[in-house]
Order: sequence, then C-alpha cells, then structure tokens
Amino acid sequence: MTSNMDKQIFDGQPVVAIRSEQDRRSFLRSALIVGVGAGFVGYKVGDPTSGSRASAWAGNLAKPSAKGDLDILNYALTLEYLEAEFYTLGVEAGVLSGRELDLVTPIRDHETAHVQAVTGTIQDLGGTPVEKPKFAFPKGTFSSREKFLATASTFEELGVKAYHGQVTLIDSVDILGAAASIAGVESRHAAILADLTGGEPFPSPIEANLPMNAVLKAAMPFIAA
Amino acid sequence: MQIKRTNFIRGDVATVPASVSLGALNNGFLWAKTADFNSDVDVLNYALTLEYLEAEFYRQGNSAGLVSGKEREYLDAVQSDEESHVATIMATVQKIGGQPVAAPAVDFAGAFDSRESFLTTAHVFENKGVGAYLGAAGFIQDKAILQAAAGIFGVEARHAAIIGNLLGLEPEGGVYMGVTETPLTKDAVLKAVSPFLADAGAMGDDAAVTL
Repeated sequence: MTSNMDKQIFDGQPVVAIRSEQDRRSFLRSALIVGVGAGFVGYKVGDPTSGSRASAWAGNLAKPSAKGDLDILNYALTLEYLEAEFYTLGVEAGVLSGRELDLVTPIRDHETAHVQAVTGTIQDLGGTPVEKPKFAFPKGTFSSREKFLATASTFEELGVKAYHGQVTLIDSVDILGAAASIAGVESRHAAILADLTGGEPFPSPIEANLPMNAVLKAAMPFIAA
Repeated sequence: MQIKRTNFIRGDVATVPASVSLGALNNGFLWAKTADFNSDVDVLNYALTLEYLEAEFYRQGNSAGLVSGKEREYLDAVQSDEESHVATIMATVQKIGGQPVAAPAVDFAGAFDSRESFLTTAHVFENKGVGAYLGAAGFIQDKAILQAAAGIFGVEARHAAIIGNLLGLEPEGGVYMGVTETPLTKDAVLKAVSPFLADAGAMGDDAAVTL
C-alpha cells in the first residue's frame, strides 16, 4: 500500500528537501513521536462503521489532549504547506486553461488560506507553528496538464484521509470544528480533481481515513537524506 | 483553555473561552443550541431524516429521466451513497439502543420538472447537508459515531461540489463554498428543508428530534 502510494506521488522522487541536517533530525524526531502515538490507534482504512470496530476503537484510542491538538495542527499545517506550494507552482506553470483553470485556481487560494488559518490557530493556542519545509517537486510535475492534475488528485485524496484520520484524536471541540470545516473543502477539491482526471469523485459512501504514521510514511521516502 | 466535549454538551456554553474562537478561520463552530440534541440518538435521527429526504429525492429524480451519460452515472452514485447513509445510520441507532425515526412524507413539488430544477434542488440539499453535519458534529459523544458522521459529511461535500460543477456554476460560491465549510444550526436546516416535508411539523420539536 505504501509503496503504491510512493509510486503515485512524484514517481518516488524526493519532494521534501530539508534545509539543514538539524531540520532533518527535528522533522524525523517529530515524525517518530507521531508514529508511536498513532500506533496505539486501532484505525483501519475504509468504512469506519462496518464491522464491530466501534468497541475496538474505544479501547485503543490514544487520549486526546491539548498538546496532541497542537501536534495535529502542525501535522495539518505541513500538509497544507505542501498543497499551497504545489498549487501555486502549478497554476503559475500555465498548463491549464478555461474551466479547468477556473476550478483549480480557487483550490490554490484555499490551500494558501488554510496555511494562514492553521498557523493562526496554533498561535492562538500558544503553540509554535512548524516552519515551512523546503519542497522540491520533481522535474516534469508541472510540465503537463495530465501530470499536474494527476498529482493534485493524489494529494487531495491523501489530504482527505489525513484529516479524517485525526477526527477522534482531537480534544477541543472548537479545533474539531475548524479541522472539519477545512476537511470538507478538501473533499470538494478531491471530487473535482477526480472528475477532471477521469477518476471516481465518490470513491466510497463514507470518507476513508489514514492515521498520521501512514500519511507520514508516504512522505518519508521523499525526505532528502 | 480546555473545552471538554462532555462539559459543553451539559450546556455550560459560557465557559467556552473567547481566546479559542479561531478568529483566523472566521468560522467558529456554530454551536446551535445545547437543547438541539440531547444524545447521540438525537443527532443520528436528525441526520437520518435528512438522509431519508436525500435518498428519496434522488430515487425520484433519477427515475424521471432528466439526465444521461456521465451526469446519470454521477447521480446514480450519489443516490447509492445516500441510501448507504440511511442504512448505516439506522443500523447505528439500533446498535446503541435507540429507535430510528420513520421516513418523513415528502413532496418535491416541481423539482423534477427539468434537469436544471433537479440539479439546482440537489445542490441545495447537498450544501444544507454539509452544514447540518458540521453544525451537529460537536454534539456527538461517541468517537466511532463521530468518525462516521465526519466521513458522511465529507461525502456530502463531494456531492455538492460535483453537482455545482454539473450546473456550470461559478467555482467559488457554486462548486466550492469558501475557504472553509459553514456549519448550520438545526433551525436553519429545518427551515431549508421544510418545503419538502409533507408534514412540516415533522422535525419541528425543539426539545428533541422525536418524529
């Protein structure tokens, strides 16, 4: 599953270049902490209502906490940084036109606004927003309509699953509401990009989810050593 | 700084500190009223009524032969999603010992006169559904139910976007409804859907969604 995802995103080429060895260590450290915590969560990808997972979750859930909320927000911020830069470069590249350009340009604006909103929320809560990583998109990512949109579609579906993977771990109801209000917009993006790329806008009746460690695992191979 | 969901549901709204109002999002969680929902069964039965309404709406609309090709495929998928939501929510209510509400009597009047009226009404339903789930999410106490409700909410947002695009609406304000989704109170949702309920009093009880 992870290896498939690796291939889908940028053909396995690095997208996250860490500015310095110090930054790289601190990124890996937080990813590891995150991975340990998420390991206690009994999530499975797919329809969360099928089977008897409800009771299994109740016993396995990590305890939501204010510190956990800040970690989740910084995780969301990292994904939003990635999306914002990706769309900024993609729209600038000029490979889209007409209705497609009209549909994708607001996505860029949304992701940029999400970066600002999540940053502001972290600051409101007394936390420190993570710095924007240096992203290095592989050559060719923005050279064709097909490549840009296919990558965008993969990102949006991953982003939707990432947000839904945090729903039960968020402690504050306000942050839950804020995160959900962003997640819904990501779902809209995902549906539109599926439509533009001939994919499936409605892949399941209930959004699937992925725990933080699985999403980060998908990003880890792209971190420059 | 901490807001415990349980405390909130007990109704002590005044303890929610302004500092956590997420002003940056310009979109505080619209907390309806604490009296809106007294239990997870209340929330689920509210959602169930909306899903009944949507499922029946698409069943009738898709039977009317107004759309074809890719549009038809999409709307068939939407109908199937809504039917799945009905089944999922009914089963969940039963699993937690509640009584699922009965389907309301509906009257969609002229909604199926044309492709445009069908899609335009669908667009309203989907966007109200998105707002309804977001507005009710904070009342849900059970984590598994919250996960499912959030998952349904996301799918309704997908429906809303695609239908807005089928209608050729402006991307911002028609396909996407802003940087964040906007929660709706139960009152606002009921007001929007009441024209389609043959018995307008069906969801009007403020104390609980009894139906």
